[in-house]
Amino acid sequence: MSTNKYKVINTRVHNIDGIAKVTGRATYTFDVKLPGMLYGKILRSPHPHAKILKIDTSKALELPGVKAVVTGKDTLGIKQGIWRRYEELCDEQILPLEKVRYIGEPVAAVAAVTEEIAEKALDLIDVEYEVLPAVFEPLDAIKKDAPVIHEGVERNINVTRHIEWGDVDDAFAEAEKDGYIREDWFKCGGQHHACMETRAAVSSYTPDGKLTVWTSTQSPYYHQALLAGVLGLREGDVRVIAPYVGGGFGGKFELDAAQFCSAVLSMKLCKPVKIVFTREEDMIASKRRTPMYYYVRTAVKKDGTFLARESRMFSNGGAYTGMGATALYLSGFFHSFPYKWRGYRYDGYRVYTNTMPSTSMRGFGAPQAVFCSEQQIEWICKDLGLDPFEVRRKNAHTEGYEVPGQAFIQSCGMKECIDKIEQWVKSKGKLPANRAIGVSSCGFMSGGIFNWFDTPYSFSSAVVTINYDGTVELHVGCQDIGQGSNTTMAIICAETLGVRVEDVKVHSGDTDHCPADLGAWGSRQTLMAGNAVKMAAEDAKRQLLEFAYAEMGMNIVYDLDIKDRWVHIVARPERGMPYFDLVKKALRGKDGQRIIGRGYYTPHRKGMISPAYSYMMQAVDAEVDPETGKITIHEIMTAHDCGQPINPLGLVGQLEGAASMALGYGYLEDMPFEDGKLMNPNLVDYKIIRATEMPETGMIEIDTYEPEGPYGAKEAGEGLTNPTAAALGNALFHALGIQMKELPITPERVLKALREKDEAKKQKKNT
Amino acid sequence: MSFKCPACKKEWPTSLQVARHIFGTGDKAHRAWVESQGYSYIELLLAQTTEPGNKSYAILSELVEKAQATL
Amino acid sequence: MEKYLLKLTVNGQEYEVYINPKTLLVEVIRDYLGFTGTKRGCETVSCGACTVTVNGKSVKSCSILAMQVDGMEIVTSEGLEKNGKLSPIQKAFLDHGAFQCGFCTSGMLMSATAFLDELNGRIPKKHEIKEAIEGNLCRCTGYNSIVRAIEAVAQGEYKEERQ
Repeated sequence: MSTNKYKVINTRVHNIDGIAKVTGRATYTFDVKLPGMLYGKILRSPHPHAKILKIDTSKALELPGVKAVVTGKDTLGIKQGIWRRYEELCDEQILPLEKVRYIGEPVAAVAAVTEEIAEKALDLIDVEYEVLPAVFEPLDAIKKDAPVIHEGVERNINVTRHIEWGDVDDAFAEAEKDGYIREDWFKCGGQHHACMETRAAVSSYTPDGKLTVWTSTQSPYYHQALLAGVLGLREGDVRVIAPYVGGGFGGKFELDAAQFCSAVLSMKLCKPVKIVFTREEDMIASKRRTPMYYYVRTAVKKDGTFLARESRMFSNGGAYTGMGATALYLSGFFHSFPYKWRGYRYDGYRVYTNTMPSTSMRGFGAPQAVFCSEQQIEWICKDLGLDPFEVRRKNAHTEGYEVPGQAFIQSCGMKECIDKIEQWVKSKGKLPANRAIGVSSCGFMSGGIFNWFDTPYSFSSAVVTINYDGTVELHVGCQDIGQGSNTTMAIICAETLGVRVEDVKVHSGDTDHCPADLGAWGSRQTLMAGNAVKMAAEDAKRQLLEFAYAEMGMNIVYDLDIKDRWVHIVARPERGMPYFDLVKKALRGKDGQRIIGRGYYTPHRKGMISPAYSYMMQAVDAEVDPETGKITIHEIMTAHDCGQPINPLGLVGQLEGAASMALGYGYLEDMPFEDGKLMNPNLVDYKIIRATEMPETGMIEIDTYEPEGPYGAKEAGEGLTNPTAAALGNALFHALGIQMKELPITPERVLKALREKDEAKKQKKNT
Repeated sequence: MSFKCPACKKEWPTSLQVARHIFGTGDKAHRAWVESQGYSYIELLLAQTTEPGNKSYAILSELVEKAQATL
Repeated sequence: MEKYLLKLTVNGQEYEVYINPKTLLVEVIRDYLGFTGTKRGCETVSCGACTVTVNGKSVKSCSILAMQVDGMEIVTSEGLEKNGKLSPIQKAFLDHGAFQCGFCTSGMLMSATAFLDELNGRIPKKHEIKEAIEGNLCRCTGYNSIVRAIEAVAQGEYKEERQ
């Protein structure tokens, strides 16, 4: 481990929100209480597909304590969506006017003096539906005679995406002659974000025509813009405040019913209205990870060199687009990752169904894509008798590689990751029966380049203001949802300016005071907001140092810097002055005006996906009970390249947290639907991993420097969710010889696979 | 022996390769040809993506062979 | 329905509130007394975000009526610090980064506190620590940092602070 050349970066600083969180002081939207606040409840559709003929709210309005009842008729009827640049993908009226498209969809909302009364009022709202035939699976929804879910959308095909490079057919032809081709079919389930804080919003519209919304959000700016759009307000008249946020994971940056309905009610009454989803509501009426059907055909040379891959994917989009278009593309792209392919072809189809919409969830289509890719690669190695580490190493991305027409790879520690995990696996030696280690490589983006939100603003911005006493106000738009972005930005600011983390106060989560920022998704904040913060701090430092240069008057060949509150000549660090003294002089020099530094970042000409990519290889040590199919995870080891780590405590947190969520996706969390109804909308039946099931997790950090990122940093938030399901599947393959093609890997599926394997063996014996 | 793609005339040694090519390309011209043969491109696509067995390629392959006579 | 006069001690302070007999303990803590550190994350007594201690024992406060703890001593996450001085477990959580979004943290701290107090100085095995927080769901951390924090306190790393 190299010695740290930084004063603050990569040191074990406490999370700057830690005191608030460990002392019960941190307030969340869940806790917000305002004078005269009313409580809102939402009436939801019991039908997966139905026309709304009539809604009679009169009886509900008569109930004492009920102040208002709203339906789609009380709204502007705007079809909204987060892909604002593409009108056809803005397909969702949160309170629909004509029909409902999934069980749980809002149809009306009530505001009352207590939650109990609001709930009672729901039973008094009479909705007349004309039930329509519904369809729940993409394969059925795409048939000629399937019910039309969105008028004008043929075959319910919502979005299609095509990624291709090289001569795919040529490469397959070569493999057919003297290579090897393998075809497999996979089914990946959905998953729920299951944040500990459910969706929640408190809206307060005041007689001056201004709307303030406190909400659990990954992006205050997105919600400000989306709310303004659907409510017919100016963005500047909408203030979104994110108190502490109890988790997001990809589910909280689109407009949701808590925000919309509370705003509509508040605008009607000019009173604050609070809506908090129950856990059940949160699970049935939000948006989930996209279930995907994958067909993967891969051609390799007999020595394991990858030739081409041709994959097709159908995803269950649910009732509305959400972030589905992005997931469709990213899945296809990360399905090729992290390898060089002579030819690659991906066709993705997103199909509407009458189920809860699918959207982004940590990993954004990559966990599914990697589950298929990395297992098939392992099976190919077995078929050809090749070493899985050698084959991956041989084909891995390298620094400077260009994924044709898609991405420029700068820093890339893939080979080192493979080397380290290979060493680790070998060091484990022989494991007992029914237990094995499976590996998986992958990588991920550090934020996306595509402006589908159609924002006119820089993707990230920051402002650094230096007070008289040297304390620093850092205003950012990036949102801390638990991942520690406030701390990361404080670290970058402190390092750049030359002060300590405790000198920096981070302002975030309030559109009235903070610059616009696209928010916490796509693992973008460390790189994009981090770059903005670095630029702002450099600007402030440069202005500050002007006064030091004047003060110290040294030879022109010398330059100054600030480290750990000490302004000094770089070549002669013992000569200098305290930062605090300099600040006072600078303020007087600027006529009493504080130094303000500005920074911003928007990726330009960085390919089709991202400015930078993380790389990793993960090994999962798993044991299976062949009698019950029950899985026990013993240990997870990950070799990880995130460029320069900024916040080491945060990094470990991301690794362990991602592993827990990815394990859930791999073998615990299932979302079974029956006729469009989610069968387990509670935390008893929906199995989130518990402390007693969580394995030991280790990390080997691979040192690289990413030129695009602040101080060489790139993402560490989502990539780590990508490999685990595949690595687990590979562990089962090595332990029991079964090929798991369906997620989650439940005990029933394990037992079925074992039975099928036995039957196949018997049949072989008999022939 | 060589087979031509009925939609774009590109040549391949086997009808199965033509079938894969038609499928993989998936553009309007190739889809239109499939539909003209009385098959739904989407139904074939669905079957290929969700069922093991490559039935769709087999069907297309046969159609390609039949079409050679008129090319 | 006739209201009931509830008396309890919360975080060392005595309170008297008139409540509806159906009121849950978590509702008294959060809505009547305003201690919002304690959270709720489910309706099925599954997540543990509402965990407090009652006479030293960890309890999911959504699972009992407030009347059932009449006269007892409740401690929530707000009650762990003494005049601004953090308790050992809170310090350990900070040192080990044993929280992220923080929504489950109050409940975790209380489960940890009850467990540590019951140990009476005995060093626990790791699996015991995991069992102590089995009833507390965390979606962010993957639990291992929380276990490390509890282990550090149990092993006496914050001994001076205990006095």
